[in-house]
Amino acid sequence: MAKIILNNQEVETREGIPVLQAALEAGLNVPHYCYHPGLSVVASCRLCLMEMKMPHPKTGELGWAPKLMPSCQTPVRDGMEVRFDSDKVHENQERCMEFFLLNHPLDCPVCDQAGECHLQDYSYHFGKSESRMVDQKHVTPKKDVGPRTLLYSDRCVMCSRCVRFCDEVAGTGELCITNRGSKAEIDAFPGKPLDNPMQGNVVDICPVGCLLDKDFLFQQRVWFLKSADSICTGCSTGCSIRIDQNEDHVHRLKPRFNPRVNQWWMCDEGRFGFKYIHDKNRLTRLRLRRGESFESFRWESLAETVRYRFENIAKKQSDKKIAVVLSPFLACEEAWLLVKTIREIAPNATLILGPVPTVEQDERFPVGATNGDTKFIIRKEKCPNRNGIELIIKHFGGNTETFDAFVEQASAGEYAAAWISGGYPTEWVSKDFAKAAGKIPFKVVHDLFGSALTDEATLVVPACSFAERDGTFVNATGVVQPFARAIKPPQGCKRDGQFFYELAELEGLYQSPTVLGMMAAEIDEFKEVYVPPQLPEHQH
Amino acid sequence: MAWKAIDRVNAPTEESPSLSEPLKEKIRGFFDRYPTKRAVLIPALHMIQDDHGYVGWKAMEEVAELLEITPSDVFDTVSFYSHFWTHPKGEKVVMACRSISCDLLGADRVLDECKKVLGIGDHETTPDGKYSLMTEECLAACDHGPCLMINEKMHKCVDPANVRKILEDDANDKLDIPRSNLYDGANRTSA
Ligand code: SF4
Ligand code: SF4
Ligand code: FES
Ligand code: FES
Repeated sequence: MAKIILNNQEVETREGIPVLQAALEAGLNVPHYCYHPGLSVVASCRLCLMEMKMPHPKTGELGWAPKLMPSCQTPVRDGMEVRFDSDKVHENQERCMEFFLLNHPLDCPVCDQAGECHLQDYSYHFGKSESRMVDQKHVTPKKDVGPRTLLYSDRCVMCSRCVRFCDEVAGTGELCITNRGSKAEIDAFPGKPLDNPMQGNVVDICPVGCLLDKDFLFQQRVWFLKSADSICTGCSTGCSIRIDQNEDHVHRLKPRFNPRVNQWWMCDEGRFGFKYIHDKNRLTRLRLRRGESFESFRWESLAETVRYRFENIAKKQSDKKIAVVLSPFLACEEAWLLVKTIREIAPNATLILGPVPTVEQDERFPVGATNGDTKFIIRKEKCPNRNGIELIIKHFGGNTETFDAFVEQASAGEYAAAWISGGYPTEWVSKDFAKAAGKIPFKVVHDLFGSALTDEATLVVPACSFAERDGTFVNATGVVQPFARAIKPPQGCKRDGQFFYELAELEGLYQSPTVLGMMAAEIDEFKEVYVPPQLPEHQH
Repeated sequence: MAWKAIDRVNAPTEESPSLSEPLKEKIRGFFDRYPTKRAVLIPALHMIQDDHGYVGWKAMEEVAELLEITPSDVFDTVSFYSHFWTHPKGEKVVMACRSISCDLLGADRVLDECKKVLGIGDHETTPDGKYSLMTEECLAACDHGPCLMINEKMHKCVDPANVRKILEDDANDKLDIPRSNLYDGANRTSA
C-alpha cells in the first residue's frame, strides 16, 4: 500500500506500480499509447508525461520538477506528489497529438478502427483541431504482414506494442521497426510473416487502425456491434471473451482481461473458431422418428414425451440400462438439470462423460517457455467444460461409466434408452459409436450437426451454440466462470437451458444464476464463481 | 486487393548472395569479443556489405541464423542505418546533403536535379549499376553548401544547373589529394 497525491487529491494505491497505472485505476483519463500492462515499458510515445514534485538540488525543498516525467515508467512511491491537470501537461499532450497526426491520412471514414480508435478519442480530448504542418505528408505503404492480418503503416503511431507482443508474449518475434525517425515503419521480414497462434492479439492492442484483422475487415462499423461477456469454448483454458454481434450475427470475438486465466490475450484458434455457429448445416428442427423417416415435433410436447418414454422404459425394462451421455460442451447448469431429471425418473441411469477431443500437447507461450515463464497456454483438451461435467457426475454418483465402456456395453445391447448430448463444433461420432448406438432402441440425440447418430435417433433435439446459451464452465485449473448469451438461437431452435428447465418441470424462464444457486446449495465447488475485475475505464 | 502495396507473406523473389563459408567463419571469429552473439550484428553487417556490396535478404536471413536472432531483428537494424544497403549499391554513391545550411542554400533543388538526371529516387540505384543516390545529414562543409559527395569526393557550392555536368564527368569521384593509407578501411579491418 502507498498513498500518493494525484492532482491534489490523496489516492491509495500500490507501491511500485507505474504511476500511470495508479492514475488510470483512480479513474483518470491519462492518454497513453506505448504502455500496456502486459508488456515491457518503453516510455516512447511521450503522451503520458506528468509533473512530479522533487527535492530542489540545492535547498532540498520539494517543488515541481522543471521537466515532465513519463508516468508509465515512474514507479509509485509512498508520499509522492504528481499531477496531470497542469497546463504544462496539457500542452505536451496537445503537441504529441499534433505530432501523431502529422503523417496520418485521416481516413477514419474507411478505417475499421473508427469508433474504437484511441487516435480519434485522444485527438478529441487532448489534441488540437488543426495541424501546423505545411509540408507534404510522408506516405508509408500498406502491407500484407500475415495470412490473417494487414498493416496500414500510414495509420501507425509507432507505439511498438505489436513488436513487443511478438517478442515477449508470443515469443516468435516476427515484427520489427524498420527505418528511423519520421520514416520508421512496422514491418515483417519478407517470407517470414506474422503467423503465430497468438497473432490476433496485435490487432487488439494496436491503439489505432494500423493492424487490421482480415476476417473482420469492412464487415461492420463497430458502433453497430453489441457485446456479451462469454467464455471461449476452444479449449479447456477457458479464456474470457467478448462476443461482438449485430442482428444476431457474430462478427468477432475479443479477449477480456482475466488475471486468473488469460490475462489480456486469446489465441487465434479460439478467436476465429466460432464460424460454425452460423453454419447452414446446423440442426434447427426438433424431429421425431415415425418408422423410417422423421416428422417435425413441437417443443411444447418435448418435456412430456421425454419424461413419459423414459419413465415407461425404466419401469418396463428394468433389466436394461438407461444412459445419459454428457458432452464437455454442456454448461454445468444444463448438465445438472438433465441429470437431475433423468435420475428422478430412472434413479439407476448411468452417467457418462462424452468424448473429450484432445490433441497431443498443450502449447505454451512465449514459444519455448517452461513452467515458470509461461504467459499463456493453449490447452490440449479442445472443450470448455470437462471439469464441470466431471464435478456433476461425481456429485450425482451412482452408476457411471467411461465413454469407451459405454460404447462396448451398448454394442452388447445392454441399454434400452439413452439421452446423448453432443454440441461439438466438429465431427465427433466414431463409426463404433454410431454402430453401438444403433443397438439402443430409444435414443434422444441432442446435437449441433447431423451425423450417423442423428440418422439413427428416435428424437433429434437441435442444440444451441455457446453464443446462444448462458451458464457456467469450469476450466482446466478449476476456475468456475459464468458466460452470457450474445445472440438468439436460429429459427427452430430453443435454448438448451430452457428446455432442460422445462424437462425438470421447473416453472418459468431459465435463468442460469437461479439454477447455479440451486446447484451451489448441493455442490460446494459452485459456491464461488469467478468474474474477472473490469479494467479501469480508460485503460486499453 | 488492388491497393495491396507490399507483400510480406511470400519470400522475396529477387536473387541475393549467400554468406560464403570464409565470411561466416570471419563472423564467428567475433563471437568471443562480445557478451552475446546478438551484439556481433553490426560488425557482421559491415563484413557482409564489404563482401557483397550490400546486405541482401538472403544474407540477412543467414546472419540471423548464425547469431541466433530473428530475421526481422536483422532487417530492423539494417534498415535503421542508411549506410547499409539492402539492394545492390552502384559503383558510385551520390550523397546529397539535406541538412539546414545546404537546405537554406537550395539543396532541395540540387537533389531534385540529381533525381531527374539519374532517374532514380532516394536510396535507389540506376539500372546500369553505375550510380546510387542517397541523402545525408550534413557533410561537414556547411559553409560551402549546397554540397554533394560522390564516393569520397566533395562537390561544394553546387549549382543545380551544373548537376548534369558533374554527374556526366567520369572523374567526378577522383580525389584531389589521394587518401592516406592510414585511414584505409581495408587496412583497419585486417588488424
Ligand atoms: S502497428 Fe499499431 S501497435 Fe504496432 S506500433 Fe503501430 S500503432 Fe503501435
Ligand atoms: S487458449 Fe483455449 S480458451 Fe483460450 S482462446 Fe485459445 S482456444 Fe479459446
Ligand atoms: S510514454 Fe508513457 S505511455 Fe507512452
Ligand atoms: S548542412 Fe550541408 S554540409 Fe553541413
